[in-house]
Amino acid sequence: MLVVELMLKLDNVEVKYLDAVLALKGVSLEVADGAVFAVLGGNGAGKTTLLKSISGILHTDEGEVTSGGIYFDDYRLDKLPPEDIVKLGIVQVMEGRRVLEHLGTEQNLLAGAHLRSDRAGVKRDLEKVYNYFPKLKALKRQSAGYLSGGEQQMLVVGRALIARPKIMLLDEPSLGLAPLIAREIFDVFKRLNEEESITILLVEQNVNAALSIARYGYVLETGRVVLKGTSSELLINEDVKEFYLGLSLSGKRRSYHDVKHYKRRKRWLG
Amino acid sequence: MIYFAQYVCSGILLGLLYSMVALGLTVVYRSGRIINLAQGELVIVGGFLIWWFIVMTPLPQWWMGIIIAFALMGLLGLVIERAFFRPLIGQPIFSLVMMTIGLLLLLRGVVIATFGAKERPFPQIFSAEPVVLGPFSFDSALFWGGIIALLIVLALAWFFERTKYGLRFSAVAEDHQVAQSMGISVKQSVAVAWVLATILGGFASIVFFNGKIVTFLASEIGFRALPVALLAGLESVRGVLVAGIIVGIGEMLAMGYLNPITNGGMANIFPYIVMIVVVLFKPQGLYGWRVIERV
Repeated sequence: MLVVELMLKLDNVEVKYLDAVLALKGVSLEVADGAVFAVLGGNGAGKTTLLKSISGILHTDEGEVTSGGIYFDDYRLDKLPPEDIVKLGIVQVMEGRRVLEHLGTEQNLLAGAHLRSDRAGVKRDLEKVYNYFPKLKALKRQSAGYLSGGEQQMLVVGRALIARPKIMLLDEPSLGLAPLIAREIFDVFKRLNEEESITILLVEQNVNAALSIARYGYVLETGRVVLKGTSSELLINEDVKEFYLGLSLSGKRRSYHDVKHYKRRKRWLG
Repeated sequence: MIYFAQYVCSGILLGLLYSMVALGLTVVYRSGRIINLAQGELVIVGGFLIWWFIVMTPLPQWWMGIIIAFALMGLLGLVIERAFFRPLIGQPIFSLVMMTIGLLLLLRGVVIATFGAKERPFPQIFSAEPVVLGPFSFDSALFWGGIIALLIVLALAWFFERTKYGLRFSAVAEDHQVAQSMGISVKQSVAVAWVLATILGGFASIVFFNGKIVTFLASEIGFRALPVALLAGLESVRGVLVAGIIVGIGEMLAMGYLNPITNGGMANIFPYIVMIVVVLFKPQGLYGWRVIERV
């Protein structure tokens, strides 16, 4: 279905926390060069674990890839420390707008560029970030902790952008943002993908927004990929409609309350 | 009046010495939320090493001894991080602080076992002649040490705030996980922080022991620097200068004016009074990071 070159590949990945909690139960997933990929799923589906296992920051949460492998070009990521993974060009933007609160906006961005040694390039990219997020320019010297939620989300995305990633892993960027701001930020993701040719792996609960910019999507449930397909396929899938978009068979909006009990409890077959 | 001015000036110099020791606390705290109660012991270890390499070994030049001692101090920092604190990553703050107490006792024991409990005369690195400026005269070690401390603090503050490498350390100070997600090696940053702390201990020992007696009892300076770091705010590098000077001046004034009426001792407890007041009324210190709560 996809003819572009494969870039990132998860092969039957299993992740355990504290040697006890099985968070991913054999997830296989492929991310091709140059597109936006969406990972959808409810709470506890393992979406964040998936991203953390790729970026390598899993072990700070006492998690570990216990079987399977994560491959990026010729490298095996699940054996590398997070700093080496960032050097390879995979940068995760964590959930919850994790700015460096006590540093200024611009300092946050510059901290994102700490691996780069081309001063002029960093300066150019700083302007590029301000170009994508004009609001940030006016807030240059402001402590990042006092920015609004939307501005903080822009800042963390900008901080990832300035590291010149090949792949950006975005963890619920729309969480807790007003719909308009979320829209604005998703538009930037689309532009980043098209103009900077950054491959994006986007984890979202906001299915509509995610599939509107993604080419391909995976649906994750309790640690398994239960459904995958192109965005248009997923958008017309009855189960996706019903569980994530709140639409009934006839396409009308319908209250969750009216869904028959046995249907409400339906789970994806693994 | 001339006495008052002399007390203030001496207080500034004493304060700068405290700043140098307190900076060791600050750097380690920033890296991993560890309040290192053994910083005074690091000063003592530095003092003994420098004494050993200058007085007891036949090195042709005294500065060679200092360089070797500093290299060993740096190594000690690496060992401390690797052996005592890396295994505790992710453990509660309580364990970390208990570990620093263990480190304190261990270092003290090692020093006594290695060099004996005898007092040792530290070499005269800065001249014994006081530095005279106008009507004032200063202990030359404190004078030059104060200038060195000033330069070190300003240089480190510049490093942490303005350089790209320093920003890594600031990121680590804010949030380990975010730092990792940005490709910063937290382990490396913590190790560098410990090396900085031990080297700062070495610098402080030169200033503190110059021409005096080296004894492990002097490790109290580590505790006297604690109020300085707290007053500055544990995250603030630049703040230790201001806080050190405040505590130093306060201590000298207490020595000059309160000691005679309190049978001495007031100067000794002054820093701790500051510590209690700071913890009670301004726990984040003068320049520490406030918890940002947006409403």
